[in-house]
Amino acid sequence: MTGFGRRLAGKLAMGLVMVWAVATFTFFLVRALPGNPGDVQYENYILMGMSPGQAQARVNAVYGFTSHEPLPRQYGGYLWQLAQGNLGQSTSYSGVPVAHIIGSALPWTVIPVLSGLIVSFLIGVAAGVVAAVKRSSRWGGLLSLSGSVVAGVPTFVVALLLLLVFHTEWHLLPFGGTSDYEAGWNAPYVGSVIEHAVLPVCTYALLSYGGWLLAMKSSVISVLGDDFILAAELRGITPVTRARYIGRNAILPLFTVLALSFGLMFGGSIFIENTFDYPGLGSLLLKAIGTRDYTLMSGAFLLITVAVIAANILADLCYTLIDPRVRR
Amino acid sequence: MAVTTATLGASPRARRPALLAFRTAVLRKPGRVVGLAIIVLFALMAVAGPWFYGRLEIDPDAVYAPPSAKHWLGTDFAGSDVLQEIIVGARYVLGTAALAALITAVLGTGIGLVAGYRRGFTDSVLMRITDFILTIPAFPLLIVLSTVWDFSSPWLMGLVLGGTGWGGMARAVRSQALSLRERGFLEAARGLGLSTRHIIVKELLPNIAPYVAMHLLLSTIAFVTAEVGLFFLGVVPFSTTNWGVMLNQAVFSGGALESPDALFYLLAPLSCIVLLTLGIVLFLDAVDELFNPRLRERA
Repeated sequence: MTGFGRRLAGKLAMGLVMVWAVATFTFFLVRALPGNPGDVQYENYILMGMSPGQAQARVNAVYGFTSHEPLPRQYGGYLWQLAQGNLGQSTSYSGVPVAHIIGSALPWTVIPVLSGLIVSFLIGVAAGVVAAVKRSSRWGGLLSLSGSVVAGVPTFVVALLLLLVFHTEWHLLPFGGTSDYEAGWNAPYVGSVIEHAVLPVCTYALLSYGGWLLAMKSSVISVLGDDFILAAELRGITPVTRARYIGRNAILPLFTVLALSFGLMFGGSIFIENTFDYPGLGSLLLKAIGTRDYTLMSGAFLLITVAVIAANILADLCYTLIDPRVRR
Repeated sequence: MAVTTATLGASPRARRPALLAFRTAVLRKPGRVVGLAIIVLFALMAVAGPWFYGRLEIDPDAVYAPPSAKHWLGTDFAGSDVLQEIIVGARYVLGTAALAALITAVLGTGIGLVAGYRRGFTDSVLMRITDFILTIPAFPLLIVLSTVWDFSSPWLMGLVLGGTGWGGMARAVRSQALSLRERGFLEAARGLGLSTRHIIVKELLPNIAPYVAMHLLLSTIAFVTAEVGLFFLGVVPFSTTNWGVMLNQAVFSGGALESPDALFYLLAPLSCIVLLTLGIVLFLDAVDELFNPRLRERA
């Protein structure tokens, strides 16, 4: 198990380096913006009659750094704040900590993404097995084509089409916000939340369905040709056992796809939340850019990246745990 | 475009058989011919479209007009013909995607080949960089970058898309190079004392070319999606007519989701993207067969 521990440590170190690199990138990005927003804020505070010291303290509280200090000190101070989980204060929500805003938006992204992921995994894997086994028939071909096309069609196209059909044409499902009622543990609220979540979850599911199908199909095809399957067939195993053998071996490589599709879905959340007017991380990032709220923007971007990196590490670990060959 | 990429890596001696094999592969299934036809149609639109409709005609009497003999796909909020806009917009969308795909091909193939062939330290450094590019969610990165960069010029847009999108290609090419480097003909080349440059350019590249072409087509879909998406979200200033701008106008100012008036204005760019995707996917099948000899034998 020491190999496992070393692998975990290596992955975590790599993840930390990536988070640091992204944090550095956003730090310099905000500084490189036209008319450095920190400076503009500072001048505004001076105009409002604050002393330079007060103004500097205020700007520091918002951005985590002030541009009147030497660059290495600004950068060090920013990283130090970040290490303590302090992402600065939002400028558009006047003084609310960014971590707070992001925290309340996070579940509205993570829960739909995960639900969509599970739904698409189940359907996509099942369809992939069928597409592999029946690959020379017309239905198998059509199934594969559906996977390729759905995997290629952009998120916003799927989202818009679903919205058009189920909301505009058929008036079946609502959109906009997470619910029509006040938050609380009662039937109308929970029902409304589920109703509002159906379209985003379906879009997430469609978004990654094609990837699962294609990955499972090629994986099953490669396992079908393996010698141990032939040997088992010659031994006279039942079709059900044969399917179990194939399924267990074919599903292994899909865990690498898991990480990729998680990242894809977090990227897609921007379109999905924007189209369905759903208040998650993606729409937060977009709103931050629209209102030029740079602390909120870098915070949201950093968190999306961290989520994807974490998902990658998790998927890699799952893979190690499941496949004994990788563990050594 | 498709024809040239598929034959790109073949040496002059091998060109004829490659072209012939390509033709047989395409003609084998009707789906592939349809795919190629769709790609050629869009390429023609991108090249020749703006010559026909230099300036969009505006017909103020027909705002959100339904499809008719005069306006095949109806008109938009200003009375411009939707079909004209689609054709004119194709140049920006496809030109940018082509530029980005070119950058991806050069960067991805170069880095993948060097990493896979040299192995060792070079490999691990290059792959760390590639992993980094792959892990950072590309689309959020693009919209964050759009705050500092002005993407409205097609060159810059293509450059940024290509610069952030080569990771997958590099990984795929590297794994191919790793498996090819153990083959007999490469061992022979090394034994003959040929230079690394010769081996990479003359021996490895031609064998990887169909694979690169395949990834190139796939990444073209991704680039079209990404740039249209940027315009759709409205984070990039509108400077030219293109499909993304049309989508944005239809959804957020035309109210296409509430009223059926603007429906064609919304559906036209949407269907173009879906059709282009379908064309590329159908055509990929042929490239796949060229690359994968096992498929060729079975068919």
